Amino acid sequence: MTDLTQAAASRLLIDTNHNRRPWGLLLVAVPVFLVGWLVIWPTISAIARTVWRLDADGNYGFNLSSYVFFFSDQYSLNNLGITLWTTGMCALLLLVICLPIALYLRFSSGRLPAYVQGLAIFPLFVPSIILAYAFIRVLGPNGMVDILLNSVGLPKIRTPYLTPWGPVIGLVWDNIPLTVLILLAGLGNVANQSIEAARDVGANRLQVFWHIILPRISNSVLVALSFSILGIFSAFTLPYLLGPASPEMMGPFMQRTFREVNDPLNAITQAVIAFGFCIVFGLFYVRSVARNQGG
Amino acid sequence: MAALSSNRQRIDWPGIVFAMLLSTAIILPLVVVGTWAFTEIWRYPAVVPQQFGLRFWNQTLSRSDVWGALTLSLQLSTVVTLLSALICLPAAYAFARLNFPGRNILFFSFLAGHAFPKFGLLIAIAAIFLQLNLIGTFWGVVLIQLVGTLMFMIWIPVAAFQGVDRRMEEAARDAGAGPLRVFWSITLPQAGPTIVAALLLSFVGTFYETEGAWLIGAPGIRTMPVLMISFINNQMVIQYGAVLSVLLWVPSFIALMFARRVIGGSAFARGFGA
Repeated sequence: MTDLTQAAASRLLIDTNHNRRPWGLLLVAVPVFLVGWLVIWPTISAIARTVWRLDADGNYGFNLSSYVFFFSDQYSLNNLGITLWTTGMCALLLLVICLPIALYLRFSSGRLPAYVQGLAIFPLFVPSIILAYAFIRVLGPNGMVDILLNSVGLPKIRTPYLTPWGPVIGLVWDNIPLTVLILLAGLGNVANQSIEAARDVGANRLQVFWHIILPRISNSVLVALSFSILGIFSAFTLPYLLGPASPEMMGPFMQRTFREVNDPLNAITQAVIAFGFCIVFGLFYVRSVARNQGG
Repeated sequence: MAALSSNRQRIDWPGIVFAMLLSTAIILPLVVVGTWAFTEIWRYPAVVPQQFGLRFWNQTLSRSDVWGALTLSLQLSTVVTLLSALICLPAAYAFARLNFPGRNILFFSFLAGHAFPKFGLLIAIAAIFLQLNLIGTFWGVVLIQLVGTLMFMIWIPVAAFQGVDRRMEEAARDAGAGPLRVFWSITLPQAGPTIVAALLLSFVGTFYETEGAWLIGAPGIRTMPVLMISFINNQMVIQYGAVLSVLLWVPSFIALMFARRVIGGSAFARGFGA
């Protein structure tokens, strides 16, 4: 009897769903339209407008001159170089800092690990603009670090403010929480039994890490790195406020080309070049998220 | 197992090292900013400010640009969050419950924005807004920030709607409740807390959104973070920035309190693809 009603109910549900078919599309129409208009279309349009445009004679045609300019202009190349250096350095530092923290959090419990986890996630709730201000007050000239060093009779530091290290420190700080969270979620998939089994046959900590843990979390490591690389490559606020004026990272460079130099064409070219450098990480990241949500 | 329990007896050296390093790197900078906000005189090289006081709170709060930016930021965040809720919540319900052609591909299309470096995408959008004369306007900034909230405001509520107990809905329907009544009395109370958390995240996220506001809004639209940029770049009085930082941090703190249930677990990290 109950089985029958349940079957009937589920059939009813399917039927009503069937009847509502057009409704579903209608309900999702506006957000989907926004994604199409403000994500997909700008991307296509950016590529189209930089390769298919007016030439000197006023004819539309295939024209790569803005890309040729970018890759032959030393200033642009320096900016690209500093961006690649910053992104690579941040990725490396994030891995070196966050992997030990995540490993520690995965294999311990109690109040101290809870405190460590709380601290590691805390930067998520500090807007990067406040971070930039705090950075200047602490590591800037005559900042807190200088004050403390001076009080124990040590010389001042060479401040990283307005050097390439400024954005690196800021961006690493900003990206610690999500990197730790993603790595921690990946470590959740490593079963205690497999580690104990390896210990039983005499594997030491390093061997356990290398042969048991690392292969199982390599996907999470790649996801975490892709996510931070996508954010860092075109970061704007922290490089703009903490970095050197020249060479500058792609974010401030694009912003200046667009607003101050008033040259949308070259700004879009820079954006497309940024897309090109990030496409592998972007696709990998999206594929991982989609697979996770779908599965 | 024996190894694990004997580990627990030992002093947790790695934990102590991590706790000390992270405390220094994460708490110290914020304490310094907090101290500056309540400082009247702090000359190098004193370790502690010479004079504490609230003078600069008065001065900061009597600046008209601060109030202008605060009102504008609150307006923007409210408008964006309401619009986002208005268009995203029905869509989330449809994705969670209804079956329609193209459902999966449309659902994952919201990921598209995350496949590109963000500022590059903003430049591409700005180029389109330039032709539409939306640069430097309130609604231009609303649009750009609205796009930023879409994924959060759809994916989190979808999970919430999927988590609602279907059997309770069916029971209510069997007892003669109409679809609206079922939605109002059964579905919404169960999905409610998560949806509120999503709303809060999008409000706070919009409040702090700097890059879109700076690129699309300047010079007409000066939100709090944009004002803060100019304070960092051109303001000689250090305390203005410190007071603004403390003020700006309040909404973040509220979000921290409310959104813990969403952010706590690995479910959140999974949303980022872990």
